[in-house]
Formats: sequence, C-alpha cells, structure tokens
Amino acid sequence: MTLSAFFQPNGRRLSSAGIVLLMAPFFMLIAFAFLYPLLSLLSLSVTEPTPGFGNYAKILDNPVYGKVLLRTLWIAVLVSALSLVLAFPVAMAMVSSKGPMALFITACVLLPFWSSVLVRTAAWAVLLQRNGIINSALQFLGITSEPIRLLYTQGAVVVAMTHVLMPFMVLPIYGALRNIPADYGRAASICGAGPFRSFWEVTFPLALPGVLGGVILVFLTALGYFITPALLGSPQEMMIATLISQQLREFLDWPFAAALVGVLTLFVTAITLLFSRVFRFDRMLGGQL
Amino acid sequence: MKFKKPVAGAALALSLALGGTAAVADEIVIATTGGLMRNMMEEYFYLPFADATGTEVVPFDIEVPDQWARAEGMARTGDIEFDIVTATGPDLVGKADILETIPCDELENVKKYALPGACQPKGIARTTGGMVLTYNTDTYAGKAPATWADFWDVETFPGPRGLPDTGDRDWWLPTVALLADGVAKEDLYPLDLDRAYKKLDEIRPYISVWWKTGNQVQQIMRDGEVAMTMAYSGRALKVIQDGSPFAMAWDGAIRDTGYLAVMKGAPNTEGAMKFINFFYGSAEGHPGFIQSVGYATSSTIGLSQLPEDEQKLYATYPANYELLVDPDFEWIGAHRDELRERWTNWLLQ
Repeated sequence: MTLSAFFQPNGRRLSSAGIVLLMAPFFMLIAFAFLYPLLSLLSLSVTEPTPGFGNYAKILDNPVYGKVLLRTLWIAVLVSALSLVLAFPVAMAMVSSKGPMALFITACVLLPFWSSVLVRTAAWAVLLQRNGIINSALQFLGITSEPIRLLYTQGAVVVAMTHVLMPFMVLPIYGALRNIPADYGRAASICGAGPFRSFWEVTFPLALPGVLGGVILVFLTALGYFITPALLGSPQEMMIATLISQQLREFLDWPFAAALVGVLTLFVTAITLLFSRVFRFDRMLGGQL
Repeated sequence: MKFKKPVAGAALALSLALGGTAAVADEIVIATTGGLMRNMMEEYFYLPFADATGTEVVPFDIEVPDQWARAEGMARTGDIEFDIVTATGPDLVGKADILETIPCDELENVKKYALPGACQPKGIARTTGGMVLTYNTDTYAGKAPATWADFWDVETFPGPRGLPDTGDRDWWLPTVALLADGVAKEDLYPLDLDRAYKKLDEIRPYISVWWKTGNQVQQIMRDGEVAMTMAYSGRALKVIQDGSPFAMAWDGAIRDTGYLAVMKGAPNTEGAMKFINFFYGSAEGHPGFIQSVGYATSSTIGLSQLPEDEQKLYATYPANYELLVDPDFEWIGAHRDELRERWTNWLLQ
C-alpha cells in the first residue's frame, strides 16, 4: 500500500486510516502524558486510604470545598465575560485595519504571548501594591485619602486573569469576523440598516461561533488557573487549583487532592459537553458558516 | 549526589591500593533546603568537618515536605539514602518512628556546649529563630507594639497587618491568638481552639496579606504593604540590617527551631553522630554561619562571639530566649490533623 492510498490527493477528505496515522503521535503524547496520569490519580481517589468514595464524601461533607468550587466557577464566568467585552472591539479593529495599523494591533494582542505568565502576573503585583502606581495616582487625584487594598483580593485576580487570557478570546473572534464577507455589511446598509442594527443583526450573529469558541477556551482555562490566583489572590478566596496544590504539596494528601481533581474534571467535562450540545463544536472552532 | 559516589569509590580504591592504613574514606548524606542554608552549612561546617575527620559530606537539596515524602518511602523500602535530615519540632514527634535516637549524653561537645533543651531524643537543634512580631518603627514612632495583644489592638495601633499562611500556621496562629486573649505562656497547651479561633475572627478583617514564603514577608515589609506582621526572625533581621525601619518585639515570639535528625537505618549512623558532635564543638564555624543565615545555633560557643548589640537580634540571646513560647510538640504532633483541618476550614470559609 502506498502513502497516497492514505492521503487521497483529490479532495480534502482522508481515509480513516490516514486520520489515524496523522493523529498517532499526538494521541500517544496525550495517552502517556495526560490520560495515564489522570486515570491513575482518579483511581487513587477511590482506593486510598480505604476503597470507596470516602474522599468524595469529605468534599460533600464540608461546605468549605463547595464554596471554593463555586467561587472558582464564578471567577471563571467573570473573567470570560470581561474578556469578551474587551476582546470583541479589538477583534473588530483588527479585521477592519490595514498596513502598519493592523500590524500594531496584532502585535498588541500577541505580544503578551512572548512574555511568561509569571512576569505578567508579577507586573500586576507591582501596579496594585499599597505604595504602587495605582494607589499613588488615586491619592494624588484626591479620590482616596490613604492607600486602599488592591493586591491580594479577588478583584486583582479577575483583572490579571482577564489580561492573561484575553488573547484566547481575541483570536477566535477575529477568525470568525474575517470570514464574514464584506458584502454582507454593504447589503445590510443598502437595505436601510444603520451601523448599530447592521452590527447586531448581521455581524454579531455571524461572529457567534468565534465568540463561543473564545468563551469556552477562556472559561475552561480559567477554571484550572493556578499561578495568578496563587500570587495575587488571598488564601481566604482560594480557587480550586490552589487548593489541589496545597493538598498535594503541603499536606501530602494525594488521595484527597485526587478527588478534588476528579470533581474539577467532572465539571470541565460536563461544561464542554453542554457547550458542544447546545452550540456545535465544529462550527465554533472552524468558523465555517 | 549521584556523581559524587564514584569519587568516593575512587578514593576508597586508592586507599586500598596504598596499603589501607588510612581510615576507609566514608561519606554522610545531609538533606537540607537548598540555597543559603546549604551553602553556609557547607562553607562553615561540611568542608571543615571533611578536613578534620576525612568524612565527606554530600549535601542533598530538598524542601522539607518533599524530604519527608522521600524519607518515608525510603523507610518503607528499607533503602535509606539520607543520613541526616532536617526536622521541625513537630516532626521530632510525628516522624519519630523513622528517626534514630540521639545519644545526647555520649556526644562530648553536645554535653559541653548545647543550650538547655537543644538536644531532644530524636533531633538536635541546628538553628533557632522565632515567629516574631515585627513592626514598622516609622508608623509606630510614638508608641511601639510589644505583645500579641497589641497586634490585635487596631485602635491604638492602626495599620495593615500580615500573618503567615505557610509552614506551621495551624498552631502558630492559635497560639498567638490565645496570648492576645490573655492566656499565660505556661498555660497555652493544650490549645483551646474554640477560644483561639474566636479571637482570630476579630483580627481577620485587618489582615491585608497572608504571606506564603520568607521572601514574600521580606518584600511586604520593605514595600510598606504591612505595618505589622508575624515574620521569621531571620528574615526580619535581614530587612532591618538592610536599613528598613522595622523592629522586633520578642515577647510571645514562638520558638522555631530547625533540627538535625538522623534516619533510623542510615548508611552511616556513626558518621552522622560524629558530624553532630563536630557541629556543636566547632567554635570557628559559628559566628560566620550565624551572621550569614540570620539564625543562631544552640552552641554556647556560638552567638556569644558576636558583638552584644548584634546578639539582641537573635532568638537565643538570653533576654529574648526567656520571652519565647516553648511549644508543646507532643501535643501538637498528636493533634496535627485536627489543627490542620480547623485552620483550612477557618481560612477558606
């Protein structure tokens, strides 16, 4: 059998054997580096210290853990919403600009990818600290009389996570917007729609797959986010990833941490399935209309 | 450690080849946190020890929780690789099963120079500091806070405060809360947790930073993020020596000793005990070591070599030492899970 039998040159569809071959390296990586550790962790959660669901019962018994989970979901919702509000105009500007301006906007969006998350998070710590630039400005303008607490709050976490995750929102929306033929906008205005109506009834619905793609990327990433909440947040407003790390590294309670991982995995899976049912995935990520 | 073994092996082969009159070249493996502590131990004690006795010290860098995870694994399989490990007070009780008993009465220099209480059955004091109340001397220029009751007194001493959310805060904080509530040092243990957490509820809204690391507590002091905080005394010492306007109030500081402990079934128990004896007797090593790490050793020939003014910044300075809280590790060790659960629930609520 020759390779051409796998990858039929006429047309874009591959034979199923071709698909398997293309996926093989990636699948092996996933299986070894993700599925295997995840499954062994999950089995730990139901076998240690005694077989059964004791670790999960502990999560349910103590309202504190439910609170952490709810808080994590809430922060993920906030971050997704804020990112969307900030990212949509940026994506529109990217689509409509040309030349150096387009380059400039693209650079602004992509630049953060070139610096580590740690650096960006540390930068926020500098800005938000008690004697930092924001507090100094507020006092200089007479808005506050003494430094207010900005760092180590939930607000700091939300703002910094939005900053870090926003590019993941901009890019899918940009992809979707770019696929909308310019004629549609012209047709809308010929039919008498003003710019607002044209946006709301033509552009936005067509961009929706990109919006949903961005929301799901940002939301799911935010659910398991670790560095930013650990550095800028207060332990009184702990998120689940920090809680898992604490159980693992500090208390050495692997089975209980594994149960927390189980719960987080359950939530991520459920939310992903929900999204893929309600809004079809292929449309979201492909941007095809 | 891996690549040092062949060197020791080569030395062994050499000494055999030369007729074997020299003692068999041996080594001990000492696990400590990496960085400053390891480097200074090496400079002031490991290398001089090797020169004096021919026993090579192989340092192994590891954080304490990871070290115990490994040590427990080694004890399970019987394949012990560490000779000396680093232990906290509660560890001496909690990990007693896997630790060798230190023959305090048989080690000559320990008998001669160790401060009272320094040599415990399962470990011997390496460095002593305190979880100490530190405050900004500019903020509190008029009247300075002196006790944990003052830390709780937000009327007289307004300003943002810091407390640790790391290490042994699950008993550190209930302990200082009870002191603030008027309990005498001698009556602290067993801790009345209900009373302690009621007191902690009072101060909670005024805590602007729950710090996580020694670096962070130094940073929040320097940046003025807090006006008062509990801090490792060695960390506070550096901030003060670097010129930040801070001072320490030793009354009710919690004695925080890092211990050297020997693992049961260690490959070179004899070498480990020899090192401990050397550590307590080496007068030349202590002053430089103390100044570099910011914590005092418990050898009477140590701190006393420093200028009097400087001695006052250390926990083992006699006037400070008598103000310290001496924690009941038996009780703490026996109630570890309860303490931890209570803490986590309180903080996350």
